[in-house]
Amino acid sequence: MTRFNTDMQKKLMVLAMFILLAFMILAVNLYLIIRDNGEAYKKQVYAQRSYASTPLPFKRGDIEDRKGSKLAYSEKVYNVILDSKLLQSDEGKYFEPTLETLKETIPSLDTAEIRQFALANPSSQYRVLAKKLPADTIQPYLDAQEEAKKEKTPLNGIWFEEDYKREYPYGSLACDVLGFTQGENCGYFGLEEYYNDVLNGTGGRSYSYINEDSMMEKKIKAAGDGNTIISTIDTNIQSIVEKNILKFSEEHRNEAREGAGAKNIGVIIMDPNTGEVLAMASSPAFNLQDPRNLDAYYSAEEQAQMDDEEKLQACNLIWRNFCISDTYEPGSTAKPFTVAAALEEGAIKGDETYNCGGALDVGGHTIHCHNRLGDGPLTVTQGIQKSCNVVLMNVAFALGREKWLKYNRLFNFGLKTNIDLAGEVNASLLVFNEGMGQTDLAVGSFGQGFNTTMIQVASGYCSLINGGYYYRPHMVSKIVNPEGATVQDIEPRVMKQTISNSTSDKIREMLKAVVMEGTEGTGYTARPAGYTMGGKTGTAEKVPRNKRNYVVSFVGFVPVDNPQVLSYVVIDEPNVPKQDQARFATLLTKDIMTEVLPYMNIFMTEELSDTEREELAAMQADFSLNTDALRVISQVAVDENGEPVEGEEGEGAEGEDADASTSGDTQEDTADTAGDATEGGAPSLSVGGAGVLDGAEEDGVTDESITHQINYDPETGYPIDPNTGEVLDPETLLPIEGGGSFMD
Amino acid sequence: MPGVDLNIPAVTVFLMAFGTIMIYSASSYESMIENGNPAFYVNKQIVHVLMAIVAMYIMSLVNYRFWIKWAPWSIPPCLILVALTRIGPFKYVVNGAHRWIRIAGRSFQPAEIVKISAIVFTVWIICYHMEKGEADKLSGIAKIMALCCVYALILWQVTDNMSSAMIVGGIGLCLLFVVCRSYKWFMLIGGCGSAFALGLIYALKTGLISPSGSFRLARIKTWLDPAADAKGYGFQTLQSLYSIGSGGVWGKGLGNSIQKMGIIPEAQNDMIFSIICEELGIFGGIVIMCLFIFLLYRFFLVAQNAPDLAGSLLTVGVLSHVALQVIINIAVVTNLIPNTGVTMPFISYGGTSIIFMGAEIGMVLSVSGRIVLE
Repeated sequence: MTRFNTDMQKKLMVLAMFILLAFMILAVNLYLIIRDNGEAYKKQVYAQRSYASTPLPFKRGDIEDRKGSKLAYSEKVYNVILDSKLLQSDEGKYFEPTLETLKETIPSLDTAEIRQFALANPSSQYRVLAKKLPADTIQPYLDAQEEAKKEKTPLNGIWFEEDYKREYPYGSLACDVLGFTQGENCGYFGLEEYYNDVLNGTGGRSYSYINEDSMMEKKIKAAGDGNTIISTIDTNIQSIVEKNILKFSEEHRNEAREGAGAKNIGVIIMDPNTGEVLAMASSPAFNLQDPRNLDAYYSAEEQAQMDDEEKLQACNLIWRNFCISDTYEPGSTAKPFTVAAALEEGAIKGDETYNCGGALDVGGHTIHCHNRLGDGPLTVTQGIQKSCNVVLMNVAFALGREKWLKYNRLFNFGLKTNIDLAGEVNASLLVFNEGMGQTDLAVGSFGQGFNTTMIQVASGYCSLINGGYYYRPHMVSKIVNPEGATVQDIEPRVMKQTISNSTSDKIREMLKAVVMEGTEGTGYTARPAGYTMGGKTGTAEKVPRNKRNYVVSFVGFVPVDNPQVLSYVVIDEPNVPKQDQARFATLLTKDIMTEVLPYMNIFMTEELSDTEREELAAMQADFSLNTDALRVISQVAVDENGEPVEGEEGEGAEGEDADASTSGDTQEDTADTAGDATEGGAPSLSVGGAGVLDGAEEDGVTDESITHQINYDPETGYPIDPNTGEVLDPETLLPIEGGGSFMD
Repeated sequence: MPGVDLNIPAVTVFLMAFGTIMIYSASSYESMIENGNPAFYVNKQIVHVLMAIVAMYIMSLVNYRFWIKWAPWSIPPCLILVALTRIGPFKYVVNGAHRWIRIAGRSFQPAEIVKISAIVFTVWIICYHMEKGEADKLSGIAKIMALCCVYALILWQVTDNMSSAMIVGGIGLCLLFVVCRSYKWFMLIGGCGSAFALGLIYALKTGLISPSGSFRLARIKTWLDPAADAKGYGFQTLQSLYSIGSGGVWGKGLGNSIQKMGIIPEAQNDMIFSIICEELGIFGGIVIMCLFIFLLYRFFLVAQNAPDLAGSLLTVGVLSHVALQVIINIAVVTNLIPNTGVTMPFISYGGTSIIFMGAEIGMVLSVSGRIVLE
């Protein structure tokens, strides 16, 4: 038997040496690895550690109206994600079944393209195939996936990522108030922008980390959903308002010029006792679901010619909220502020009588009344009722510049109301300041020469009629969290006391006379049948003067004794041959209020005449509080020229020494009543001052009075302006020769 | 058996226990995700270790000469087992590789049995030629080597498992090297092998041959520059290097590997040495290597003192087997040689490999127990 001999022992030793050598090489190599690359590899290990941190989207809060209807909400949607690597894993056993199922269950996806991409990019793990699909679109696939799991041929490589999509169920309703969102969570305009932070929640995150046991632990920090805001808007009132704006816009479309029924129409409905805005609308409306679509306003060719800048400008004009973003001269609607100030300061007692000769010379300018022929002697109440500029100028002179200015500020003109909407314009440079002259005071007394926004005038009126409490106007009454608990109650906030209760009572009486005294007042056409209403008309001449472009408006409130609702209607350049007629605004007010008041459960207190009864019955048929119908209407119209008024009138403030505007309310039937012109009554105040030319005219029903006489041109039989000697058109009472600003 | 070298079972059991701990550390995270049970692999491995110890004990009791005597008869059943990986009801294909057969819910790799059978058979055939006095002649060497190569080739071609085939061939080569007095043939074989390897490397580097179509060539190309294919073949190698490098000298501490968390796939298998280095540093790695060296040293002593040639050669065969697997495994994880799937003896996860390795140790113990101290 052979033994393991010495040779073999030697060779075994050699083998052992080889093995030892190999081990030493390995050990040295280990050392070299950590010496040369240890630090780099250490970093690499941490760098490639994906802690798989994925953001989780939050749900933006809803916007609800005061009755709980959702005006805006965010809906959960899904992005379809392709994991090409997973799809082709396990020798492609998922590939065909998954793509096949995808094709069957979500037909909108282009499976051929997905196949191509997956094959071309086998290592891609994240590709968005489709964005924002609603849950019911992807449900069939999820069902099929569940089914496939049971049959042991699982699907793999497609998953769904949660996201949210902003929905506006009413389309264009309250578009200017709501604003819209971009990228789902960034609000633009209106409530969406103002309450952006409140509506937005905090994004969540799903991430992994290594815990104490060195185990990878997956954590989900859930997204915090945004808070919901409860608006003071009432969807039904808003619908009524928008429906009537649209109706007006369509009725007067292309009447005097190409385009919609007015350059712009704004309406605000408020609760005067709280400052809550019940409805706010302006034309043109736009579809919140598709705010960048200009198809309703511009033709395809026009759009093709616009560059991006122009398109954005066009969009901005459409998105603007006329009610807070545009300024204009308020005209005669400002008169009650002047009278209230004079009463409050004791400058007048309220029983004074002034003689209106149709014009007043101030600072070298003749300032006309709307009724250039003059109305003769008028009380202060009649001055308001007939909207007499001469009376108001006299009241303002009695008050004096400083005090007038003080009240102008007190009623917040020139200051922001700080309404909770994005885009309120700062009009502080568009009002009179300490340097105002006598002429400025004269025109300012009847609302020309300084600019306001609609919300300023509406809020000011609330304080005029509610006993002097100036509430901050607001759109949101409550903020609630996603669980439904109240986070914040936004109570009505009194900012200041503007006038006393007794002055407020007197103002209400005067404003009642404008509407309620038969056909005497300028605003009688605004009264909804069966209700008592107070109000004031305004017909402001726009800059440049003499072009006969007007802003007509009407503020009304119901009922007179205990105002529950206030409406303010402003029509900028109505599309009619003769714009200076406040009845466009009063009739629109009447249409709106006739529907709104019964809805608000405000009961009729006055007896109805037979004609009113018939009218109401006819209207009843048209009443549609149906928001579906409204949605259709509001998306139809708005024409090409429907751009909202920019702040052109802005120049009026600085440049008002050159020209100022007129106001005055018209009454159609005043023209032919004529008496003799007086010798341009009134104290002839010729105050120099900074203010230069300005005149004002006053509208008015002619009241025959003893001292009031009108002369007629012997050739034409037309009346002659007692102040300038110009022959006037009997219809319009404006000079035939042209011009006809309230100021010469 | 008074003469049994107890150092050998002591080190072996220690390595197995250490391996079990490392398997728990390396696999618990992935196992938790896959099976919901962090101890899934370690529980199975504990059973394997116990079976290996039992196998080792039983084999130590059996006289090793019995195995040598009947060695040729181990060939047919081994070939059948190898064939079963391709045909018949027991084949068990994992990841496209035909390396397993599965009987009664238990799968195992015939290659591991082939290795032990190759050792025994090679020892038998050398002894056979020794008896005839031919072993030291060229014809004898050629015959022995040819038989080894045929065995290895069958293993390679049928199971597509080149690393096992290489180990079988390597064991044969080592045994022959010890037996033959001559050096020149081995220098020739070594020279040819080196020349072939260098030629292949040169050809791949200069683009004379393209690795397309052959994953082995691709692996060799990746070995030359693992970063060039960091997301493909180079991924495993690079990540293993990152593990070792980031562990530094003293490591991150037991259980603190980061790479095991989904980066190194199946870290409890072939790549476990990189996790050992990451957690225990190269200090830990070298300690393990020293334990292996100590174990090989005890084998060396047994081989030097075995009562007969068969006992010595059997021990040398086992010694070569353990040494080859350890060296190849560590060389792969440190990218010294191209990536090939060789497990770390006693430490890597896997039932067949550890049980048959235990059996081999048992045979060495059987040899050592028959040493007659003079």
